[in-house]
Amino acid sequence: MNIGDRIVAWSKDEEIKKEGASGGLVTSLLTASLKGELADEVIALQKISEFEGVPIRTSNVDEVLKCSGSLHAAPINLTKFAVRFFEEHPDGALALPAKPCDARGIVEQAKRKKINLEKTYLIGLNCGGTMPPITTMEMLEKMYEINPDDVIEEEIEKGKLIFKTKNEKKAISIDELEEAGYGRRENCRYCETNIPVMTDVACGNWGAGKNETFVEIFTEKGIKLMNNAIELGLIETAPATEKGIKIREKTNSVMEKVAKKWHEKIFVPIEDRLERFHYYMDVMEDCIDCEACKYVCPVCACDESKCIDFYDPIDSYKISIYHLVRLLHLSDSCIGCGQCTDVCPAEIPLTILHRRIADRIQAKYNYVPGMDMKIPPSFEVE
Amino acid sequence: MEEEWTPKITLFCCNWCSYAGSDDAGVGRKQQPPSTRTIRVMCSGRTDPGFVLTALMEGSDAVLFTGCHIGDCHYISGNYKAKKRFEMLKEILDEIGLEDERLQLQWISASEGSEFAEYIRKVTEEIKAIGPSPLRQEWMK
Repeated sequence: MNIGDRIVAWSKDEEIKKEGASGGLVTSLLTASLKGELADEVIALQKISEFEGVPIRTSNVDEVLKCSGSLHAAPINLTKFAVRFFEEHPDGALALPAKPCDARGIVEQAKRKKINLEKTYLIGLNCGGTMPPITTMEMLEKMYEINPDDVIEEEIEKGKLIFKTKNEKKAISIDELEEAGYGRRENCRYCETNIPVMTDVACGNWGAGKNETFVEIFTEKGIKLMNNAIELGLIETAPATEKGIKIREKTNSVMEKVAKKWHEKIFVPIEDRLERFHYYMDVMEDCIDCEACKYVCPVCACDESKCIDFYDPIDSYKISIYHLVRLLHLSDSCIGCGQCTDVCPAEIPLTILHRRIADRIQAKYNYVPGMDMKIPPSFEVE
Repeated sequence: MEEEWTPKITLFCCNWCSYAGSDDAGVGRKQQPPSTRTIRVMCSGRTDPGFVLTALMEGSDAVLFTGCHIGDCHYISGNYKAKKRFEMLKEILDEIGLEDERLQLQWISASEGSEFAEYIRKVTEEIKAIGPSPLRQEWMK
């Protein structure tokens, strides 16, 4: 096995194969990393229902097995959990599944010495977007006309969102859903990173057959991860077909094009200066100083938060200084993961505000956060 | 009698160059408008973006970064850091709708007293032309 290899793989265990999505490869890789003692702990998303997942950090193989299956409607970023792991075990090794925004967050934290990337096994997941749980439930009732509690499986395939219940299977195209205001989270719509090239292996069902996963290997660690699972007899592999590789590339380029269109649609520049001032003033006015956006932000890396240094809840400034410092701090590192918008109780479109500024600064310094370890953060001065 | 509005400008001076420069302007009796409020910092690299934002929020009409010329920094690289911060702050303030003139960067050495006075005169005129900052509250005098 070499770097750059494209293969298809699946779990040998019938139970995992049945429970997990696309042949249960990711679950097998996670259990293999624990069994083969590559990692001390793994992070996985425990399924509560189709619309709720709780991240757990565990060294128990049985608990990992319970986490199999994909959850599109549980948008959680695992970066901060990885940071906590390295706070507690500075010399430990960790394995975790990472969609592009998790992986980008982890790379940004690694640049700021919060995560030891050499001891982190990143099992990348191709991602076409996640969905907000509450709106998804509403969508199920209105558009699909099925009871959210009956859903046993969901899947995204060929631009269609598929929900399965015990006796029926319904598919509606994502474009149609998004026209109606449902579908993926806003930040996922304009996200252009679908294949996590910064991870060790990227897994996904694009270009793979039924019950198998397409894997692309990016690093030495990725080879180690795959070989470990093969040696333990947990997975089987085969070379990817030419057709599969083409399908995967095509799917990726289609997704990128759609994302670019959404980007143009959402980020309409506000030309007038005063209008812009009032826009920012009005949206930030609703802030209730809960600081939730700070806690979930995967790229926030201050030991003692700088954003609350200059700010006091009794300030009566026209624009919150807390948000301005955050806008400045994240201008080079914001990856547009959407966590801040998700948690905001006052429903401030924080991700859009951050992206508006980050787009400008990241374009100016030609810096794309979280893509590789080679380029230092643009705030750095030689 | 209604007084003419004069802008309030927060001026960050580094201890080694621009503060000495402003001192030189005073010793040399160079005329300059009394619009600036000077804050001395040990190095222009000490000017935290939080200072700038707080100054603007508290009613400054403009904030000026001043320091040693590039290459002359007493602490070798402080002014490079100030420059980077300034550039990023500038992008943000522009995005939230503040005019370009409200944040400025100027390198002033210890002997440039007349340049210093000239610069303050120029900035005061510029700010007078664009008026009070939109961030200023009605109750701020």
